Amino acid sequence: MLREWASRIAASLSRRRLDAEFDEEVREHLDLLAQRFIAQGMPAAEADYAARRQFGGVTQMKEHVRERRALPPLDVLVQDVRHALRQLRKSAGFTASAVLTLALGIGATTAIFAILNAVVLRPLPFPQPERLMAVRSIHRRAQQPTELSYPNFFDFRDRNHVFERLAAYRDQQFALTDSLPPIQVPGEIVSWDLFQLLGVPPEVGGGFQPDDEKPGANAVMLSDELWRSRFNGDPQIVRRRVHINGKLFRVAGVAPPGFHYPVEDAAVQLWITLAEDAGPSEATPMTEQRGARVLESIGRLKPGVTPRQAQAELDQIAGALAEQYPDENKNVATTLVQPELERLTGNSRKGFWILLGAVGLVLLIACANVANLLLARGTGRAREFALRTALGASRGALVRQLLAESTILGLLGAVGGVLLSAGSLKLLVPLAGDNLPIPRFAEAGIDLRVLLFSIGTALATVVLCSLAPAAQVIRADAAGFLKNSAGNIAQGQHRLRSALVVGQLSLGLVLLVGAELLMGSFVHLLHRDPGFRAANLLTFAIGLSDTRYDRGGQIAFSDRLLETLRAIPGVQSAAIGMPLPLEGDEMTVSFDIEERPAPPSERPHSDMAIVTPGYFTTMGIPLRRGRDFTERDDAHANRVLIVNEAFARKFFPGEDVIGKRMQPGATNGKEGVQSREIVGVVGNALQVAFAADPQPIYYFPYKQLSWGIGTIVLHTGTAPLALEPAARAVLMSLDREAPMYLVRTGEQRASASVSLPRFLTVAMSGFAAIALLLTMVGLYGVLSYAVARRRREIGVRIALGARRGDVLGHVLRDALRLVVIGLALGMAGAAGVGHLLGSMLFGVRPGDPLLLASAGLLLVLTSLAAAYLPASRAASVDPMQVLRSE
Amino acid sequence: MPKDRSEVLQGTLDLMILKTLDALGPLHGYGIARRIEQLSEEMLRLNEGTVYASLLRLAQKGWIRSEWGASENKRKARYYSITRTGRKQLAREAESWQRMADVIGRVLRQEKA
Repeated sequence: MLREWASRIAASLSRRRLDAEFDEEVREHLDLLAQRFIAQGMPAAEADYAARRQFGGVTQMKEHVRERRALPPLDVLVQDVRHALRQLRKSAGFTASAVLTLALGIGATTAIFAILNAVVLRPLPFPQPERLMAVRSIHRRAQQPTELSYPNFFDFRDRNHVFERLAAYRDQQFALTDSLPPIQVPGEIVSWDLFQLLGVPPEVGGGFQPDDEKPGANAVMLSDELWRSRFNGDPQIVRRRVHINGKLFRVAGVAPPGFHYPVEDAAVQLWITLAEDAGPSEATPMTEQRGARVLESIGRLKPGVTPRQAQAELDQIAGALAEQYPDENKNVATTLVQPELERLTGNSRKGFWILLGAVGLVLLIACANVANLLLARGTGRAREFALRTALGASRGALVRQLLAESTILGLLGAVGGVLLSAGSLKLLVPLAGDNLPIPRFAEAGIDLRVLLFSIGTALATVVLCSLAPAAQVIRADAAGFLKNSAGNIAQGQHRLRSALVVGQLSLGLVLLVGAELLMGSFVHLLHRDPGFRAANLLTFAIGLSDTRYDRGGQIAFSDRLLETLRAIPGVQSAAIGMPLPLEGDEMTVSFDIEERPAPPSERPHSDMAIVTPGYFTTMGIPLRRGRDFTERDDAHANRVLIVNEAFARKFFPGEDVIGKRMQPGATNGKEGVQSREIVGVVGNALQVAFAADPQPIYYFPYKQLSWGIGTIVLHTGTAPLALEPAARAVLMSLDREAPMYLVRTGEQRASASVSLPRFLTVAMSGFAAIALLLTMVGLYGVLSYAVARRRREIGVRIALGARRGDVLGHVLRDALRLVVIGLALGMAGAAGVGHLLGSMLFGVRPGDPLLLASAGLLLVLTSLAAAYLPASRAASVDPMQVLRSE
Repeated sequence: MPKDRSEVLQGTLDLMILKTLDALGPLHGYGIARRIEQLSEEMLRLNEGTVYASLLRLAQKGWIRSEWGASENKRKARYYSITRTGRKQLAREAESWQRMADVIGRVLRQEKA
C-alpha cells in the first residue's frame, strides 16, 4: 500500500517524462506488431491499422495509465507549482523584491524567536523539568522574594511532604592552588543531593554522599571543563585530593559535559557541600544562623503535587517557624514556590515578548508590501486571468494558482529568512552575549522548533499576503475584465492598496514611538550621574586563602597590597570596596537607631558596604559632610559609619545625621552587636542601575568589619587597562598563590549595567528603521502606480493650463492624506506601546506629546521624501506625448 | 475499456504475466503479449493494450520492476522482470488458483445422483 502511494507520488512529480516514455513504449509495441503483420504478408498500409486494432484503444489506454499511475490531485498541484514557477521566473524583478521583503521580515522574526526560544521557552536541561521549583521566602516588609537561611532551609527540607528532594545552593569564589599560576573559579556550595534532585548522574565517580554534609567532609564535584583543562581529564581523579582555598578536598566526581548549575551561571566550575558553611569558624557557623538569608533553593515536586499545594505547605511551615523564632523569622512568614524556569527567565521574559511583538509588526508591514506587489501584478495580469476564465478556468483554479505562487514566494522567503537569521545570530549573539546578563542567551540558534516557527510564519504570511489579490479574482467576472480593460478593477484596487499603506504607516508609527521611548530611556540611563567617576578606574578581585590568612592576616595583607599598588607609576590612589556601585543590592542588613529602638523584626534595613580609607576619593564619590574614614578607624578605635545622602534623608529626615548612633546587625561574630557613630555623609552612588531613586547605603571601615577582602579599585592617571600587568606583578610578588580575576574598568562596569536596555534599544531601533524603510517603499509604490495610471488625466490637465507646481502639490497632498490617516490610527497603538513598555522606561514619559510629535514628524518627512519622486514624475508629464500615444 | 473486463480476467492476466516473467526472464510489453498469445494457442483473444494496465498494477505493488534496453528493432524498449516479492506472490496466487481449479473441476465432474 505504502509502496503504491510512493510510486504514485513519484509519478506525479515526473509526469511529463513518464508520459513521453509511455508514448514511446506504446509506439514501439505498435511498430513491432505491424512488422509482424507485414512479415505475415499483410500490406503495409493495412498492417498499421491491424496493429492498432489488436492493441485496443491506444488513447484510452494512455489515459488509463496516466490516471492510474499518479495521484490526480497531486498531479494538479504539481501542475500548479510548475505553472507558478514559470510565472515567477518570467517576472524576476517582482519575485526578487517580494522574496527579499519576506526574507527580511521572516528573518528578523525568526532571529527574535530563536532568542526567545533559547532564553524563555526551552525547558530546563534536566529530566522532567516541569517538576523543578524555585523556593524562596517572601519578605513581609519589602514584599519581595528573599533567600533562605540554613536553619530555615533545614526545617523546610525535613518537615515538607511535597518535595521528593529540596536542595540549597549559594555561589562562592574558590582559588585552585594545586599548580601555578593559581586560578580563581566560581563555584557553588550545595546540598549533597543536588545532583540526584536534578536527575544528573556524575560522568566520573559516585557523586556526593549524605555524609558529605558533615563538617570537615570536604568533598568536591568538578565540572567536565575544569576536569579536562586543569586535571587533564585524569580518569583516576576520584582517588585524588585537590587544593581548594588552601584546603584538601576529596574529588567525589565529575559532572557530565554541558552541565551547568545554576543554569544562569555557565561559569561555575565546581560544587562543594554545605559542610563548608558548617565548619569551625570564628563565629557561629552560617548553618546555625537563622537570620543569615543567603541560600537559593530548588525542589523537585513529588509526582502529582502542584506548585500551589507545595507553596501552601511551605507557608504553613514558614508560619510555624515565624512563631517559634519571631526575631529572625517574623518578616519571612510566607514563601514563594514558582517553576525554576520562571525564576530563571523572570527579568528578561517581558522584554523578549515585547521584541517579538515588535518584530511581528515589522513582518506585518513587510506583508503589506508583498500584498501591494501582488496586487499591482494582479492588475497587470488582468488580461491573462480574463483569458483563462474565458477559456474555462474556474475561479478556484485561478485562486489556486495565486496561492501556489504566493506559497512559493513564502517558502523562498522562509529559506532566505532562516539564512538571514542564522547569520545574524551567529554574528550578534557572541557580541551581545558576553555582556548581557541573560541566562542562556548565548545558546540562541536555529533548532527544529525555530525552523517550524519560521515555516509556519512564512505560510501564515503568505495566506495574509494573498488574501487581497485572491479576493480581487473572486470578485471580478471575466466579462468585466475584458470589457473594462481593467479600469474599474484598478480603481477598487487603488483604494485597497492605499488602505494597506495607511496600515503600514500606523504600524510604523507604533514601532517608531516604541523605539524612541527605549532610546530616550537608554540615553537617560547613560547620561544620568552614577554618583561615581567611571573614567580612569581599574577594578579587580583577588582570591585570598582563608586558611592561610586569618582576619588580622587579611587586613595586614590588604594594607601591604594597597601600599605597593599606590607606588605603581600612574596609580593616583588605591582602595578596596565590597560591594562596588552598580553591583546590585548585595548586602542588605537591618540596624537599630539608638534614639528610636525597635524590636528585631521591626528594625529598618538598607544596603551596606565595607570600604577602606580613601575609597570615596578613589571612586570619585564626593564627601558632603563630616569626615572620611582614616587608617586610625581600626579595631581599637571608636566604632564609626559613613552614610550616603539618601540614607540620611530616609532615616533621619530633617535632622543632622552626624553624631547619631546606631547598632547595625552586621558584626564580626564574637564581638556581638556594637553601637556606632555616624561621622560622615557622602554623595549617592547608584547601587542598582535601574533604580528610580538613589538607594540608601551605609559604609563600614574595613578594619572594623572584615568579611573577607573586597574588590580592589585603582584611580589611574592613564588608560586603566595599561596598568593591569603592573598590578598583576605586584600581587604575584606579595602572594604567588592569590589569583587576580574579574579585571574591569569603571567604564566597562557602567556599560555592562545597562547592557539589557542597550540590547532592547538597538533591536527596537533596528526594527523601526526596517519598518520605516518598508513603509516608504510601500508608499512610493502606491503613488508611482497612481501617477502612472493617471498619466493621461495629468497630461490633459497640463495641456489645459494646470501649472507643474499644482500637479506636484496634488500628488504630495494625496500622499499626505494617507500619512495623516495612518498617523491618526497609529496614535492609539503608540499610546498602547508606551503603556506596555512602562516598567522598562527611565526618565521618559510614554505619553510625552513632544515624543509623539517628533515620531509623527519623522514619518511625515520621510513620506514626503518617498512621495517626491512620483510627484515630480507626474509634474514632468509631457502632454503632447501622452495625447499622441492615445 | 479495461474496466469493463471482469475482475477475474484482470487477476488472471496479472497472474499470467507474473508467471511469464518468472519463466522467461526480462521481456518487453510486446514480448509478453506474444508469449501469452502463443501459450493460449490463440484461444485467449486479448486487447494487447491491457497488458500495460496490468504491468502498471504489478509495478505499483512492487512485484515487477523495469529497465530500459534495446528492442529487436534496436530501439529503446522497457524490459520488465519479476522481483523477489513478485515471486512470492506468484507462488501464493498459483497455489490458490490451482485450488480453485481443483474445486471447480470437482464440482463440474460430479454425477447426477
